[in-house]
Amino acid sequence: MMHRNPLPPLNRREMLNRIGAGFGTLGLAGLLAPEAEAAQAASPLAPKAPHFAPKAKHVIQLFMPGGPSHVDTFDHKPQIAKYQGQRPEIVNRKTLRNTKNGLFPSPFGFKQYGKCGKWVSDIFPHTAQHVDDICFIHSMHTDIPEHAGAMLMMNLGHLQPSRPSMGAWLTYGLGTENQDLPGFIAMSPRAQPRGKLANWGNSFLPGAYAGTYVNIASMSKERIIHDLKNKWLPRATHRQQTDLLTRLNQIDLERQKSDQQLEASIQAMEMAFRMQFAVPDVFDTSQESKTTLEMYGDSEYAKGCLLARRLVERGVRTVQLSHSIDGYDIAWDTGHGDIVGGHKRLADACDQGIAALIKDLKQRGLFDSTLVIWGGEFGRAPTSEGQKGRDHDHYGFTVWMAGGGVKPGFSYGATDEFGCMAVENRVHVHDLHATILHLMGLDHEKLTYRYSGRDFRLTDVHGKVVHDIIA
Amino acid sequence: MSRVTLPITIVVFLMVSHLRAEDSSLDFFEEKIRPLLAERCYGCHSADAKELEAGLYLDRREGLVQGGDSGAAIVPGSPDKSLLMRAVRYEENEMPPDRKLSDEEINALAKWVEMGAPWPADEVSQAVVASGGYDWEKFRNEHWSFRPFSKPDLPTVQAPDWARNEIDLFIQAGHEANGLRAAQSASPITLVRRIYLDLIGIPPTPEQVDEFEQAMRADPTSAVSSLVDELLKSPHYGERWGRHWLDVARYSDGHGGFLDNRPHPHAWRYRDWVVAAFNEDLPYDEFVRLQIAGDILKGHEAVVATGFFALGPTYQSDGGDPDSVAQAKSETLDDRMDTMSRGFLGLTVSCARCHDHKFDPIPQADYYSLAAIFNNSNVREAPLAPEEEVRTFHQHQEKIKNTENRIKEKREAAKKEERELSPEESAELESWEQDLKQLRETAPAPFPTAHALHDSGNQNMRIALRGNPRKPGDEVPRRFLEILAEDTRPEFRDGSGRLELSQAISSPENPLTTRVIVNRIWMHHFGKAIVRSPSNFGVLGELPTHPELLDYLAVTLIESGWSIKAIHRHIMNSATYQMSSDHDEQNFGIDGDNHFVWRMNPRRMDVEVWRDSLLSVTGEIDLSIGGAPFDNLANTNRRTLYAKVSRNGDVFASDTFLRLFDFPLMRATVAKRPFSVVPQQFLFMMNSQFMIDRAQSLAKRLEQASTDREEQIQLAYQLLFSREASTEEMELGRAFLGEQESSELQPLVQYAQVLLSSNEFMFIR
Repeated sequence: MMHRNPLPPLNRREMLNRIGAGFGTLGLAGLLAPEAEAAQAASPLAPKAPHFAPKAKHVIQLFMPGGPSHVDTFDHKPQIAKYQGQRPEIVNRKTLRNTKNGLFPSPFGFKQYGKCGKWVSDIFPHTAQHVDDICFIHSMHTDIPEHAGAMLMMNLGHLQPSRPSMGAWLTYGLGTENQDLPGFIAMSPRAQPRGKLANWGNSFLPGAYAGTYVNIASMSKERIIHDLKNKWLPRATHRQQTDLLTRLNQIDLERQKSDQQLEASIQAMEMAFRMQFAVPDVFDTSQESKTTLEMYGDSEYAKGCLLARRLVERGVRTVQLSHSIDGYDIAWDTGHGDIVGGHKRLADACDQGIAALIKDLKQRGLFDSTLVIWGGEFGRAPTSEGQKGRDHDHYGFTVWMAGGGVKPGFSYGATDEFGCMAVENRVHVHDLHATILHLMGLDHEKLTYRYSGRDFRLTDVHGKVVHDIIA
Repeated sequence: MSRVTLPITIVVFLMVSHLRAEDSSLDFFEEKIRPLLAERCYGCHSADAKELEAGLYLDRREGLVQGGDSGAAIVPGSPDKSLLMRAVRYEENEMPPDRKLSDEEINALAKWVEMGAPWPADEVSQAVVASGGYDWEKFRNEHWSFRPFSKPDLPTVQAPDWARNEIDLFIQAGHEANGLRAAQSASPITLVRRIYLDLIGIPPTPEQVDEFEQAMRADPTSAVSSLVDELLKSPHYGERWGRHWLDVARYSDGHGGFLDNRPHPHAWRYRDWVVAAFNEDLPYDEFVRLQIAGDILKGHEAVVATGFFALGPTYQSDGGDPDSVAQAKSETLDDRMDTMSRGFLGLTVSCARCHDHKFDPIPQADYYSLAAIFNNSNVREAPLAPEEEVRTFHQHQEKIKNTENRIKEKREAAKKEERELSPEESAELESWEQDLKQLRETAPAPFPTAHALHDSGNQNMRIALRGNPRKPGDEVPRRFLEILAEDTRPEFRDGSGRLELSQAISSPENPLTTRVIVNRIWMHHFGKAIVRSPSNFGVLGELPTHPELLDYLAVTLIESGWSIKAIHRHIMNSATYQMSSDHDEQNFGIDGDNHFVWRMNPRRMDVEVWRDSLLSVTGEIDLSIGGAPFDNLANTNRRTLYAKVSRNGDVFASDTFLRLFDFPLMRATVAKRPFSVVPQQFLFMMNSQFMIDRAQSLAKRLEQASTDREEQIQLAYQLLFSREASTEEMELGRAFLGEQESSELQPLVQYAQVLLSSNEFMFIR
């Protein structure tokens, strides 16, 4: 340990960067022609080999900030009604938040759907049609019942906003398949989720891995990335100008001989030129058929779902689509006072879009390679706060996943008979992260980045892959 | 520390229980208790647990008796005094968390504890002890950075005519040992650009290039040394080198967003102090001391220097949840610890926040010995004026306020009584109004303030078990790191302890402080450091490529009175610094990463240097120094140093620009900036208003100088690249200007934009 060679061997990443990202890998780069391969190697976003064969290649995270109530959506608990108003021992916890009142049955009806016979609340009738495609995890739990910290825990595995987001980690680990588009896009209608940039930030990872944020309500195709559009020159003239720059840089490159940084610059400039046209194109939903547009419906969240499909279709690695209505940054927190009003409107605003996304991905053969993740930062308690509302419950809640590599029509783990605590096959958020990385072909203990003199991971020192939900 | 290695240092030893239990009680244990513990507790509290919770083992008797983070789990014989019983009864901790034990099970546990917690006597058990047992002598003798340094002997070299000073001997010895050949000397043009860009961050004008070329023809040695001396005297030197330090200080104007959103409107006072300190060549040891304890050492004259710490994040909790409040506080302390330890010492002391450092000799106790110092130091807005002046100012303001009140009261009293003022009263009022007017006119000007530290306590801290501040362990005295301290290791007792800390860090006996700073100076001159992990000199850091050279520079620093400028001179006058950056196939084959410095490393400019250079060649730059920052660089031609910066780089227009070109995140100390090449950088060059504006200014400048295309092209090459255009470049330029369609932008503007966006312009070679 004390005596090492002053010329340290190249680490794996350096090695890949030097000899081309396609070296002996399963990734896209391995299939590319040698010149293209060299070009890919120049970019930090070039596709990188996963640690092992992945089940999925893309992630769409349908993030539900504010804490949707699991017992009013996907975790049916008929026992609550039997003990209405009472406080059986399991729910009688001083460490739960404001749940002084007794058990409060869901005001929504539940019906069984699909071959698996899954009970789903009446506020998610469209999503309910796809229960045979979905893998429910009912035994989620997290560290604190406070929005900010819990949202950060869900999106970056840490209670403070000082770590890279999951999307940034995925893009760092895998690169992305389309070099004309950013590798990670975060979207929401109107309000950004609380914590804003932290939810899709790169923190100490290199800037290329930061999520590019798009506001669905106010987006302009040509402003999605800073300085995307050239306002001065027609395309042909602009091309000529760019060609001159490329030529002059090549002359410089020849003079400098083997300067890899310069070569990388020339490649990046060509990418920039193409991005000017590729980015507005992917965000232009007017090219979609009438049938497709009708299938999604016209809510803002549904538009985000459609954009998410267009993005993964073109090879974008990770999409995070956060829900919001009324410009509220923790939309699902409307459950405190009145679960009926709050949750019904929120579900209405996203249900059809989510169902359409699953159907659309299946129709286009993208479902198996795309991991769709639905959930908030925690759930809500089966006991009532006030008369008709529920306070936060971080002891137990539901997240579901669908598509790439998870068991379809499957429910894993359980809360107690009232839905208060995760009791069977408990899954912490760190475990969920480990599982998501695993499905994407990454070992969460090996995906590290050296910063501040130590190796950081998405899962810090925690996380167990939940193998039982993997198909 | 991530779990790349074992999460806990486990020392296994054999232990046989002393307990001699009756067979019947052991039967009870085997029938009722062990199965219960195994089924309900071992998942989190045994050697087989994937993650041991709370440091508590329930698969061995001593685990129960010694307990975990929260103390002993059982007191044999006394169930009522046993934490375990309160937990299973859900009176505290609520264990097991998934489902409460049945009453029968709880009673059985209580009975077992009452029986004295019998456990099979012959059971071989494992026990865990905290590691912490570092072999101090071995570390001090064997790890290079902890060894004391002395001036090394100069190496002997085979070809004595290359070296110009001692530095070159160390470098040349490395070349000779590895079969490398030093690159040729750089051309005067390359060299003059390098020296200007390195020292002041602005390229030389064509006239300055000419001047240097002439001086080189006369006497190369004195040409370089006089230029270096001249530029070291420039006030722009401090702007360039102060910025390197501001990265280390993770300097920002606050606005940390979520959970740390305060602005730091006076942050720039610290920035200006740093710039001035570099310009004055403030001795580095003093520079260090003042940033830790300037308020204590020099009162208002140096309180601003403690902005080094005070400008860091001060985290808050969102909802007041106790865990989250405690975590916010410990995160804030960790910022101070990390910035102090990596920034000054090149040690990752933060790794010891939750446990003893796995690789370096830093026990967790040392972390809390030092964290307490910052726990005793709060942030405040401190006046940058003598106490007397502050007092006078406040007294005067007080007088104004009193007079105002008197006048107001008098008027209101009359109004309340619904009467006119008497003539006497009117006269009195008039005289008071006169007084007020005079007071206002003679009021002393407000004094400036800075974000600074002040002593707010003198307490020790307790170790936070597993880094959890809600689980306090033993109290530890405030004192310096054991690995760096003298044998006596005195306790810090003076106020917060900052003064004593500042002395320990800046001591010439400290083997790290000087090595760390000379390594960074070297790195900024060469693009690559002698120790390539400039903030980690620990066991996991890189080894120095030239350990003797590093020590030589460290000793030179001390001998020169801790003068940073002396180190610059020494480095820049060496043959090593003056090599070209030309590629060489044979050398590259031997040492592709240039560890042995066989050529200068070509470097892309820092974003500040690039923007300042753009404004400089277009003739637009405003070189005034210091003052409040600008939100949007687009609205100023001031140097880039004066951009407003938010902690997350997400608030100001300036942030967006800076971050695009690898300006680091000012959340944590940065010694070496990252380097990335992304398409978005080229979108900026192709499409931003800023670049179009620069192109238009440059085109205007060229047009004003000449109407002849060739002359315009030549002038552009002189201004931007300090050289003539080649035949091919001239042809390309002429063809473009002749054929290119004129749209909203004239061809000359388009051409100017191309040259300003070129790689050659962006690189220091």
